[in-house]
Parts: sequence; C-alpha cells; structure tokens
Amino acid sequence: MSRADNVAPAPPVRIEGGALNRPRGLIATIVMALLSLAWLFPLLFAVVNSLRTYQYTQANGYLSLGGWTFDNYKNAWDRGQFGPHFINSMIITIPAVILTLFLASLVAFVLARFSYRFNLTLLAVFLAANLLPPQALLVPIFRIYREIPLPLAMSDTGRLLGSYWGLIAINVAFQLGFCTFVLSNYMKTLPKEIYESAEMDGASVWRQYWQLTMPLVRPALAALATLQFTWIYNEFFWATVLLGGRGEKFPITSSLGNLRGQFFADTNLLAAGSIIVALPVLIVFFVLQKQFVSGLTLGSTKG
Amino acid sequence: MTTRSHDRDPRQGLQIPPSAMVTMAASRRNFLRSAALGGALLGAPGLLAACGSDSGSGGGGKSVKFGMNEAKGSGPAADRLAAMAKAYEKKSGVSVAVNAVDHNTFQEGITTYLQGSPDDVFTWFAGFRMNQFAEQQLITDVSDVWPIDGLNDSFKAASTATDGKQYFVPKDYYPWAVFYRKSIFQQKGYEVPTTYADLQALMAKMKKDGLSPFAFGDKDGWPALGTFDILNMRINGFDYHMKLMAGDEDWDTDQVKQVFDTWKGFLEYTQPDPLGRTWQEAATSMGKGESGMYLLGTFVVDAIADQADDLDFFTFPELDSAVGADALDAPIDGFCLAAAGPNQDAGKEMLKYLGTAEAADAGNNGADAPFIAANSGASTASYSALQKKSAEVVGAAKNIAQFLDRDTRSDFAPVVVQAIQTWLKAPDKIDDVVTSIQKQKESIFV
Repeated sequence: MSRADNVAPAPPVRIEGGALNRPRGLIATIVMALLSLAWLFPLLFAVVNSLRTYQYTQANGYLSLGGWTFDNYKNAWDRGQFGPHFINSMIITIPAVILTLFLASLVAFVLARFSYRFNLTLLAVFLAANLLPPQALLVPIFRIYREIPLPLAMSDTGRLLGSYWGLIAINVAFQLGFCTFVLSNYMKTLPKEIYESAEMDGASVWRQYWQLTMPLVRPALAALATLQFTWIYNEFFWATVLLGGRGEKFPITSSLGNLRGQFFADTNLLAAGSIIVALPVLIVFFVLQKQFVSGLTLGSTKG
Repeated sequence: MTTRSHDRDPRQGLQIPPSAMVTMAASRRNFLRSAALGGALLGAPGLLAACGSDSGSGGGGKSVKFGMNEAKGSGPAADRLAAMAKAYEKKSGVSVAVNAVDHNTFQEGITTYLQGSPDDVFTWFAGFRMNQFAEQQLITDVSDVWPIDGLNDSFKAASTATDGKQYFVPKDYYPWAVFYRKSIFQQKGYEVPTTYADLQALMAKMKKDGLSPFAFGDKDGWPALGTFDILNMRINGFDYHMKLMAGDEDWDTDQVKQVFDTWKGFLEYTQPDPLGRTWQEAATSMGKGESGMYLLGTFVVDAIADQADDLDFFTFPELDSAVGADALDAPIDGFCLAAAGPNQDAGKEMLKYLGTAEAADAGNNGADAPFIAANSGASTASYSALQKKSAEVVGAAKNIAQFLDRDTRSDFAPVVVQAIQTWLKAPDKIDDVVTSIQKQKESIFV
C-alpha cells in the first residue's frame, strides 16, 4: 500500500504574503541576487584589480590573486591631476544643476497651472528636444559658439567656445526638457484647491510659485537633482568639444585620459582612476537614494 | 561609471561607426574610434576660410601659446615638452603659455581644436597627417624656418607638404623593428637572421622549441599595419609602398596579393587568434618567454619594463635581394604652427628653436627618459642602449616610412585596418580582402 492512498487531498491553504509566497520568494531572491551580481561584477572586478600591480596581473593573469598594492590610487590621483579637474567638474555641474531645476520649475509651473492654447505644444517641444541626439547638433553649436564673443573677463579665449559659460549653457539646454516634463506632471498632481485658497488670500503668481509650489515639489526636485548631478557630472561629449581643447579646463571625466600614454595603458591604474572618478556619483546616489528611487516613478501617475 | 570610462578606452573593443571613417584625428592606437567630432566638422568648407581671420597679430609679441599632446605630469613625454617650453622661455624672454591635453583626447579633437581657438605652436606628426592640414590651410607654411642645422634631407622631406613647402618641424622619432630577448636567444642558441632563409630556419627552430616565433596581437587593429608595411616594403619596395599609400596604385594587384600571401606563410609562426589579444598582452608573452620575437615599435618596452635591459632588436631581414632591407617604419613627431593661432610670428620664432639640438637636449635633460632626437646634433649621452641602436639603425636606413595610418588618408587607414582584421579570421581569402580594400579605395581617393 502506498502512502499516497492514505493521505486525503489537503485543502488549499492560503499563504500569507500574496504573490511572493515562500517558494516564489526564494526564487525571486536568487534571481535578484544573480542579477545584481551580474551588475556588480564589473565594478567589483575593477576594484579588485585596481588594488594590484600591472606587472603581477600581466604575468599571472587577471584571475589570479596577489600583487596587492595601493599605489595605483596614489599614482592615478597624481597623474590624472584629479584635484583641479574635480573642481572643474563642480564648476560646471553645480551651477548647471541649479539653473536647470530653477528654469524647469518655472516653465513647469506655468504649464501645470495655467491653461493656454499652446500648453501641450510647448510641452511637446520641450520633450522633442530631448529626443534629438546631441551629435546631430555638434557642428552648428560649435560654429555658433565660435562666433559669439565674450568679454575677456568671462572667457580667456574671448569667445563662448572654450569657456565654462558655454558648457553650462549647453548642459542646461539639454536637460531642461526632461526636467520640465517631470516637474509639470508632478505639479499637476497638487490639488487645485490649494491654489484657489491662495488666490483668495491674495497671493500673487510669483508667491504661488515660490512659496507654495516649490516647497511642495521638493521631493521631485531632490530626485531630479540626483539624476541631473549624475548626468552632467558624467557628461563627456560636449566637454571635449566646447572647451576648445583647453586642457586645464577639462572636467574630471576627460582627465581619465591622462592615465593612458600614447601607446601603453596600465589597465589597473585606469581601473583605480575610474573608481576615483565614479566615487562622487556613488556618494551622491547613496546619500540621496531614497529620493532617487521615489524619483523613478515620479510623474507616472496623474492625480 | 567605471564601465563608461572603459567604453572610452580604445583597447576595450572596436566599434567602428561609419561616421568614424571620416576623421582627421587619428592616432596610431586610436584612430578607429576618433569620433565624428573632428571629422564631421571638416565637411564644412566655409569654416576653414573663416579660420585665418584673426591670425597674425603684431610681430614678435611677448607671449606665445603652446599646445602639447601630453597631459601635465603624465610621464616623461610630458616632462620633455614642458622642459622644452621652459628652455625657450628662458632663452628668448618670451613667455610660453602651455596648454596640456592628454594624447588621445588631443588627437581626437584636433580638427575642432584647429578650427576653434588653437594655440600658436602645437605638437603633431609628420607625413600625410600634416599634409592634410596643410592642404586645408589649417597650419601655416614655415618654410622660412628651414633649413635647420642638424636635420637632414629625409626629415625635411617628411616635413614637406605636397605643395613643396615645409609645414612641420621634427622633434623625435622611433623605429619599428623585430624585438627579442637577448637571454633567450643566448640560452637557445638562436642567431639574428639576415636573410629570408635564416628567418625561416629560426622560426622553425623556435616552433620546435615550443615557442611562438612571433608574438602577435591585433585586437586594436593598428598593430598589424606594421606587419603589412614592412612586408610591402620588403617585397615591393619603398617607392611602391608610398605610391600605394598615396592612392596612386591599386590594391587588387598581384603585388599586394603577394604581400598577403607571404604574410599567410608567416601566420603559422605567429601567435594564433591575434584579434583577441592587445599588443600589451602580446608583449607580455614575449616577456614571459612564450614568444620568441615581436615586430613592434620601441614602445614595446613600456609593457615589459622589467625586461628592458634584456631587450634587443634587429631590422626585418630582406625577403627579396633585389629590393633589399633598407626601408623601415619610423614615425616622426614634431611641431606645427596653427593658422588660427593668435601670434604667428612669435610662434614661428619658437618653432625655429624647437627644431634645434639645444631644444632636444633641454627636453631630454628635463625628464627621466629621453626621446630619440631628430636633430643629429643632439646629445645621445642619456640614451638607453635600445635608443642608441635605434638612432644608428634609422640613420643607416635609406628610406623611412611613417607607418600606414600616417602615410595615407586618415579616412582610408581604418578601411585597411578593418580589412586586415577580417582577413586574419580567414587568411585564405586574399582575393576578398584586396577587392574590398580596392573598392573602398576607389570611393575615398577620388
């Protein structure tokens, strides 16, 4: 007699936890662990090899262990001239982020709060500009920048080309569309009644924007600030072109190039340099992680 | 983040967008990738005319701008250039404003740089690369700086554009040759080959001893060009090679096919699967004693610095006694004067100085490792043994080529690179490779 015959079919048991019951949860955990490992692997591999000498890894292969050293970081910092270039990056990134958010919030406020005939068109135009590949605009922008004069006090080249102003402007221009889109959608979720009562109390439009809307959209601003900081900090394309080949003005992303020679590249040194360069982004991300995650779904639902 | 920066590293993989085919900004290592950045701009002819407009301000100004293709503090190459600039400053009393950009970024951005707001004097290469800028009037005719004491006719020829004027002042050079480890040759009783038969015997012997006779890596595409150059120069001669580079000869001819056919014979003696190996990895295999020889530039030392004292080299032996073995690749680096530079006269004065033996000595004394000065009057006291020999070998060579990517159009070199990489996967298909190059050659050289 087999055991199965003895056991009556068990009634279906409702398991707590919804879709992620225990076995499913386990599978999900394993899948997620594997996926995150796949994402983390290159980064961890770079970290490990940045702590080893080039000679050792060349002689024994990258899968070996040994040849530990911290010199790569020291050398990368010195040779890459990361100190001054990091300051350059901040000179570009911080004003660009602040300006982008400020301008975008102004546009978004008007688009969300007032209905004009061209509201949708305007929003579409802002978005459309986002779809344009920057490479397509390279030649016209380069020529425009070359022709625009700036006083020598603002740019030592006497033109917009080769100045920080131009680079900040281009970053603002390219990020404005996305920020406007996100912010206007977020502002549309704010209850109309607040504005009605504000109006009743005699608040001007400026006051409605500055003292009412801005504090309420702070989560969106924080999320966008994180994203924008990452994007502008990592921006490489415009920086190499619009700084007109002035090496001392390059942001930190392009100073990574300092770590390779004409022919020879010490990959371990490059790994160390890349990690140093990536560090500020990681720090910003971890500090503002909460805002970042909430920012991913921003504007996806309309209240 | 980390991965992004690796994307920019040319060694990490080859992506050749069609747009990259049009580029001025080629470096030996890197020209494949150099983005449409530079190239696209060249298409705009009106741009070029506008460039000269603000050049030529007052004569003998008190400052000159100097753009160098090495980042500050990035090694001896940067130190040497900085020392040369400083020496000129001291000697002339003219202040030199140095603009230092790392090598690859500088080259990739060269066209935007020259059309934007360039420095007066900037570091560049001899040969076709220089000639292209001369034809576009992006660089200034400096024939009145010539002749320069200590620079012989072959350097003058390398500084001369197709219009017969000089646009370039040479600084240094390095040869391509067959490198080997002295200790291994001694230990196994190998001898430096002087004829094709010697070389074949040596390769067979090495193979029997369990070595790869030639280290070979072509992941980045450009190293194999060195092999093509030397084989073509040995089989068809220097003049034919230069004509082929200039687009005056066709590629689907018996001569070119013979080069590939000879190369195919060598492939069984070179490391297998070269497309998966960078030159650094190939150099390492020689350093570890797994490969016997390596045909490369003197920069091979950088990858196996530990064995620097053990390295020696010989020029590639003759393959055809009628052609001989008196030609080799020895790319020359030096300086040009940007047409859009603000101070043409001061720039020219500085160029005159940079060509002298005095400038070369100042550079070499200002850094840990010297370059091989183009100027024959420069002191060789600080040279390493390899450099002394390089200077001898190049001095003895009758004809000097600049390496394929500097001897031909910058939009054509990537064609050859890609074709050779495809061919290395299927070495029997020689007809395919030459027809493919020929087809593209016809559309590029019009």
